[in-house]
Amino acid sequence: MQSKLTDIELIQQVLAGNQSAYADLVKRHQRFVFSLAMRFSKSREDAEEIAQDCFIKAYRSLASFQQQSKFSTWLYSIVYTTAMTFLRKKRVDTTSIDNDEAFIQIESKPGSYDENNIENKSRSYYLNQAIDQLLPDDATIITMFYKGEQSLDEIAQVLGIEANTVKVKLFRARQRLKDKLERNLKHEVKELI
Amino acid sequence: MNSMEEKLWDYIDGSCTAEEHKAITLLIEHDEVYRKKYNEFLKMDKDFNLMELDDPSMTFTYKVMETIRAEHAQQPLKAVIDKRIILGISAFFIITIAALLIYVLGNVNWSAGSSIKIPEQLNADHIKIFITGTVIKGFLFFDVILGLFLLDNFLRRQNVAKQP
Repeated sequence: MQSKLTDIELIQQVLAGNQSAYADLVKRHQRFVFSLAMRFSKSREDAEEIAQDCFIKAYRSLASFQQQSKFSTWLYSIVYTTAMTFLRKKRVDTTSIDNDEAFIQIESKPGSYDENNIENKSRSYYLNQAIDQLLPDDATIITMFYKGEQSLDEIAQVLGIEANTVKVKLFRARQRLKDKLERNLKHEVKELI
Repeated sequence: MNSMEEKLWDYIDGSCTAEEHKAITLLIEHDEVYRKKYNEFLKMDKDFNLMELDDPSMTFTYKVMETIRAEHAQQPLKAVIDKRIILGISAFFIITIAALLIYVLGNVNWSAGSSIKIPEQLNADHIKIFITGTVIKGFLFFDVILGLFLLDNFLRRQNVAKQP
């Protein structure tokens, strides 16, 4: 059962020496942090390593958190920096949005798209599949906007860019996501969109 | 960026001004192209909200907390050091040094002119009663504790600096 305390109250408890309060913070944010990490790594093992690394870095720097922004915004900026460093180290292929390698990779995963069982798949399954095929930046913006409860200004803060640039990037990311969905679902897209 | 599409997304996201909102509402009501595009985007927006987050392994929180414990980073450093302790120690040394300085200057023979003579032996009979064996042991004990505290602080900082 998760704590009903706010993030700031939990942080104050951690700073006062109550280590278990940090476990509550981890539990509260782990799904989103892990999902963001997945946008960059495409592998559960790597994503889990990135996510763990982020929470440990956040713990070490907790005293320097000024509380001028939401804890989630501060945490996501750590995730973004850590994931970008991971990408540079691993040299993950992020060359072109039209690169179909990721598409092929996801299609070949067991249990993925198959015309015979398409009716059994949920809408969110196809959506997540299409998001997996986006570039990390596009996928991150879409995820933060729709699931991270982050405003354009907060996303700009996380990515270190202007809010207007985020707006343009979000617009393009939505368009690319729509294209990916159309490509993946072909005839089914009319039902979905 | 297409102007119509941009305006419609701003409208859906709620990031346009009240005037723009009013103007776009009218366009949606009266312009078939706008209405069609608006409905398409609204559906997309609804679908994007269906996105599911991934779950990490069941032991994720445990692993994070274990790593933190293993690194002996049990508390953030700022939480360990109470500022009042630092201020207390600072005040102790400042008062001691100031008292000693006042005492010494008070014992200087200023009438000696240009050749100021510092007394060879201070008349400290009235404070000798305080300098007992217990006081000296206590003072040394305090110094040792302070030294260990500073050493611990130094080693912690080094440990943190070594971590990637």
